[in-house]
Amino acid sequence: MQTQLKIRIISILLPVFLTGSIWAEEAPPVNEIIRRAEKAAYYAGKDGVADVKMVIHDASGGTREREFRILRWNGEDGQQKFYVYFNGPADVRRMAYLVWKHGPGRDDDRWLWLPSLGRVNRIAPGDKRTSFVGSDFVYEDVSGRDPNDDEHELVEVGETQYHIRSVPKDKGSVEFASYEVWIDRETHLPVKAEYTDSRGNVYRRVTADRIEVIDGHPTVIVSTVEDLSRNSKTVNTFSNIQYDVGLNENIFSERFLRRPPREAVR
Amino acid sequence: MYIAGMNSTQTTPMKLMLTRFGLRFPRLALLAVLAMTVALTLQFPKVNFDNDPENMLRYDEPVRVMHREVQERFDLYDFVVVGVVNETHEGGVWNPETLGRIHQLTHELLSLDRNEEGRPVIIRDGEAMIPDVRPQGRRAEILSAAFNQNPEHLFTEDGEPGLIGREIISPSVVDTIRQLDMGALDIRFLMEEVPETQAEADALFAEALANPLYRDTLLSENRKALGIYLPIVGKEFSFNLATLVETLTADWPEEDQVYITGLPVAQDTFGQEMLVQMATSAPMAGLMIFLLLLFFFRRFSLIMAPMMIAIFSVLCTMGLLIGLGYDVHIMTSMIAIFLMPIAVADSVHILSEFFDTYPRFKDKRATLEHVMGHLFMPMLFTSLTTIAGFASLAFTPIPPVRIFGLFVAFGVALAWLLSVVLVPAYIMVFVPGKSLDRLEAPSKETQVKSGLLDRFLVGLGRFAVRRRKGVMVLLGVLALVSVVGISRIQVNDNPVLWFTPSHRIREADRVLNRHFGGTYTAYLQMSAPETAGEAPVILPVDAPEALRDLAAEEGTWEDLLSLAMETDAERLPAWDALGDVILYLDPEGLDWQRLSEALQESPEATRNVFLESAEALRELQGADLQDAALNRVDDLAGRRWEDWVRDARVDAEAPAFRNPAVLRWVADLQAHLAEGDVIGKTTSAVDALKKAHLELNRTGAEDDEVRFYSVPDNASGTAQVFLQLEGMKKQDALFHLVTRDYQQASLWLQLTSGDNQNMVRAVDQVEDWIAANPPPVDLAFEWAGLTYLNVVWQQRMVGGMLQALAGSFVVVLLMMTFLFRSFRFGLLSMLPLSLTIALTYGIIGLVGKAYDMPVAVLSSLTLGLSVDFAIHFLQRARELVRETGSWAEAWPLMFREPARAISRNAIIIAIGFTPLLFAPLVPYRTVGFFLATIMFVSWLATLLILAAVISFMPKALFGRQASAVEATDSM
Repeated sequence: MQTQLKIRIISILLPVFLTGSIWAEEAPPVNEIIRRAEKAAYYAGKDGVADVKMVIHDASGGTREREFRILRWNGEDGQQKFYVYFNGPADVRRMAYLVWKHGPGRDDDRWLWLPSLGRVNRIAPGDKRTSFVGSDFVYEDVSGRDPNDDEHELVEVGETQYHIRSVPKDKGSVEFASYEVWIDRETHLPVKAEYTDSRGNVYRRVTADRIEVIDGHPTVIVSTVEDLSRNSKTVNTFSNIQYDVGLNENIFSERFLRRPPREAVR
Repeated sequence: MYIAGMNSTQTTPMKLMLTRFGLRFPRLALLAVLAMTVALTLQFPKVNFDNDPENMLRYDEPVRVMHREVQERFDLYDFVVVGVVNETHEGGVWNPETLGRIHQLTHELLSLDRNEEGRPVIIRDGEAMIPDVRPQGRRAEILSAAFNQNPEHLFTEDGEPGLIGREIISPSVVDTIRQLDMGALDIRFLMEEVPETQAEADALFAEALANPLYRDTLLSENRKALGIYLPIVGKEFSFNLATLVETLTADWPEEDQVYITGLPVAQDTFGQEMLVQMATSAPMAGLMIFLLLLFFFRRFSLIMAPMMIAIFSVLCTMGLLIGLGYDVHIMTSMIAIFLMPIAVADSVHILSEFFDTYPRFKDKRATLEHVMGHLFMPMLFTSLTTIAGFASLAFTPIPPVRIFGLFVAFGVALAWLLSVVLVPAYIMVFVPGKSLDRLEAPSKETQVKSGLLDRFLVGLGRFAVRRRKGVMVLLGVLALVSVVGISRIQVNDNPVLWFTPSHRIREADRVLNRHFGGTYTAYLQMSAPETAGEAPVILPVDAPEALRDLAAEEGTWEDLLSLAMETDAERLPAWDALGDVILYLDPEGLDWQRLSEALQESPEATRNVFLESAEALRELQGADLQDAALNRVDDLAGRRWEDWVRDARVDAEAPAFRNPAVLRWVADLQAHLAEGDVIGKTTSAVDALKKAHLELNRTGAEDDEVRFYSVPDNASGTAQVFLQLEGMKKQDALFHLVTRDYQQASLWLQLTSGDNQNMVRAVDQVEDWIAANPPPVDLAFEWAGLTYLNVVWQQRMVGGMLQALAGSFVVVLLMMTFLFRSFRFGLLSMLPLSLTIALTYGIIGLVGKAYDMPVAVLSSLTLGLSVDFAIHFLQRARELVRETGSWAEAWPLMFREPARAISRNAIIIAIGFTPLLFAPLVPYRTVGFFLATIMFVSWLATLLILAAVISFMPKALFGRQASAVEATDSM
């Protein structure tokens, strides 16, 4: 009897104790949480490769698909280079994007290769919040939003997640008034983000639907963007994910847009 | 007025049943009617206006179903069009100040939201502000309160703005794609920031003008006008949105004129005006009738009864209509005006007769029973014919006209019932016996007063009888003229033309259609069948034999592909390996020496072929060398058959609107339509495609436009350019023009006039061209758009009205035959109204007045009203022939009292409607004018034609009785 009671008391006390310990632990400053989240979401490993299957569901129930491979290379001081190579649909096969992210405070460089036109177009720095290949993802979702563009505020430290509210410093540059993001305390990955328009309505939601640990990095395997105003959503499913494959920095160049690198094709 | 002793003089109890009820329980009858009227009048606040011409067609009408499908498929909305025009500034509207205002307006509209109290809020200069959209002026306030109009109703039930912000078309929020000077592709909104200098504004104008999607839609080529298109969830928001825009632009300087138009605004505004009309025109008509009655009868207590009947029947009918949940449409709003004169007629007859006969009986009850027995049949029949005329509209295919017809028919029936029950009850209660005792036999006063009319009528009668041949010739001539006129009738309706030319809607319409490609829209739907037949694969001459054999045997794409890959595998891997070695070299400091060293590890055969053929590259260095070497490798490796097969498959399997041949065909069609003068502008996905193709290829050379403003050469090319358009900043804008699967596309036509004839011409132009130039693949074509819908319902209207008219003609003819117990009299009674209808429509055709809905409906009114004159005339003629023994004796009497009664009736109706001539809405004016004309023509026709025709054949009509006519008749 006595032991049973003891166990019961412990089992009641245990969660209280655990929760208490979490509360007791000082939450890191909000910018630190954001920095860690950015690192986890966009900078895992020295480089990375993944195949992406993108399905765009429009309001009337139709779907469109895109298949591409992303090559990512990390440089110093937050510099990054991306190479996006399209495999499908058949008519956009070999189309490719190249992004050079120069790190905080500087505009990205972007190039686009359209094989049937035989021409590389540099894309003017400008709105990174335009749709990525007609999907509900925007360029910024692919390469990450500069944390310095927003003021962040820690709304709540939950049991498993940090809840952060971010307001853009330059309101005119983006279509949202603010967004809220929930960051997993363990993996540091953002698991949900909700964008609010100037009328105070949530109109866009990005979620990490499945997370797996690959090569030691917690990695988003399925992620979804919902556009609540257009009633449309896009689901990205990642496969063949590899980290630290030793990508050659040279392949992130205009020459390799015209002639895709082995790493993109094979 | 009504002629006593019609047909059956004996009073049967059946006939008097209703009247006796009124006589026995006058107060109860009055109270019951009053209660009913009050109950139905209480329904008025529930009123819902429907000014949507779409509802001229049934909801499930195929063309409407199609229209809705198209709207859904392409996410199309109705637009409120805001035109900003600046005629004074050198740069037109393209100056920093005006553009700043447009930018601000756009963002204010985008910020439209509802506060906690449910009031609209916008953000102006960073501050929340409640725009003052409440009606200006006392009258507007009262009207809007009376009819439950809430100018702040700008949100749907779930609180979303009725304005669809993300679909607004304005320079601040439309996409642009362009090649910047430093060779970078720029995708942004056309005017993300307001230009600060005139030079910047000029550049912005040039950029907008160069975009085929915006030229003549968003901006005019003369720089003076700029259009903002505000898409709305439903038409019910358009008037309030227009008011909001007016409020927000109220402080703009005079140079920046703001015009608001678009079909939805026209319709919604019409609703508001209709409301004013209903509140003014009908009472005015009532007042006019009251004054005329006072003029003819000079006895206030007497004319109160007809006025009561008119008001009660109008209130009850409209109350019932609203109470039953029917919307008040342009047609139904006229019920009051149509009903009033008809309702008055019966009671006027009763009272007239009552006062004439009272001195004989000296007792109200006895007099009334006598009068009602006398008048029961003629009143029943004139009412029945009127009811038949209007009820026949129930067979037209146009719902608002059906409702109109049925409710007027109901109103006429009600007016008849009220006349039979209420007038006797009214006299019992309100007309004191004492005042009646002073009455003498028929008032001489009246006869003296209308002496002029009497003399005219006598002369008219003499003319009709003596010059009957001349009358018949005149009749023939008029009939002929009518036929000519009718053959020229132009069927046309256009909701904007419902406003008078000076109305602000008409003005906006004129100004904006002058500057732009047109504000009237129609859509040509082009759909490809699910699976198009595949063309045979034709391989180039250098293709390997095996591949060509397989293609000839119609092998599958999969087989072709694997064979192609096998073929490639024999040759290409060695070259790929060699190419990769070169590709991955660091171009920094690269020279021939290092390049050839790097190739040491490559297979010898391939390497040697390359080195021998690349001698010319020895002098090159760095990236130049690398690129040249790679090109060399490509040349030596030869065609990659895998790519060829994949590309060929893309071409073969491309959806119709990614197939370059189809897209070029659409471009040709557009080029053809641009030549005509009917269509101001056409827009399709091809315009967007060509523009993007140009910008993606732009080199800065002068011949860029010539070379690249075109459809890409193959399906992969179109797909890749379209993919860029799918990813523009204003998302999904492309899908207003083509479906996401590229199997269907919409060609957007802008017409500068909403006249249906213009639309018909546009349809002909398109269809003729397609017939002469069939598309490269099977396409199905269908039309949609409000302007096209108008054409369809107007065609229905003509056919439907003709049918309704023919049907009611037959019914009335049968009724007349039954009433007169003679087919000849039946035919005869139809003669004047036939001429009246023919002549009315002949005039409409001759003067070029468009045959629109009010005009169409007038035919039933004519039928119902003018047959009444004939009934009275013929019935009275029969009686007088019976009394006097011959037509020769009878006709001079006919042109005294009976003709006078008919004339008074005609005058009351005709003059009663003159207030309509001053209405600000054209359909009301039309009705007022033609009612007067119809009354005049059918009055004259009845008196002239009937007298003349009877004089030709009195024997055949009246039998032996009339034998004496020949002797006395002088010709």
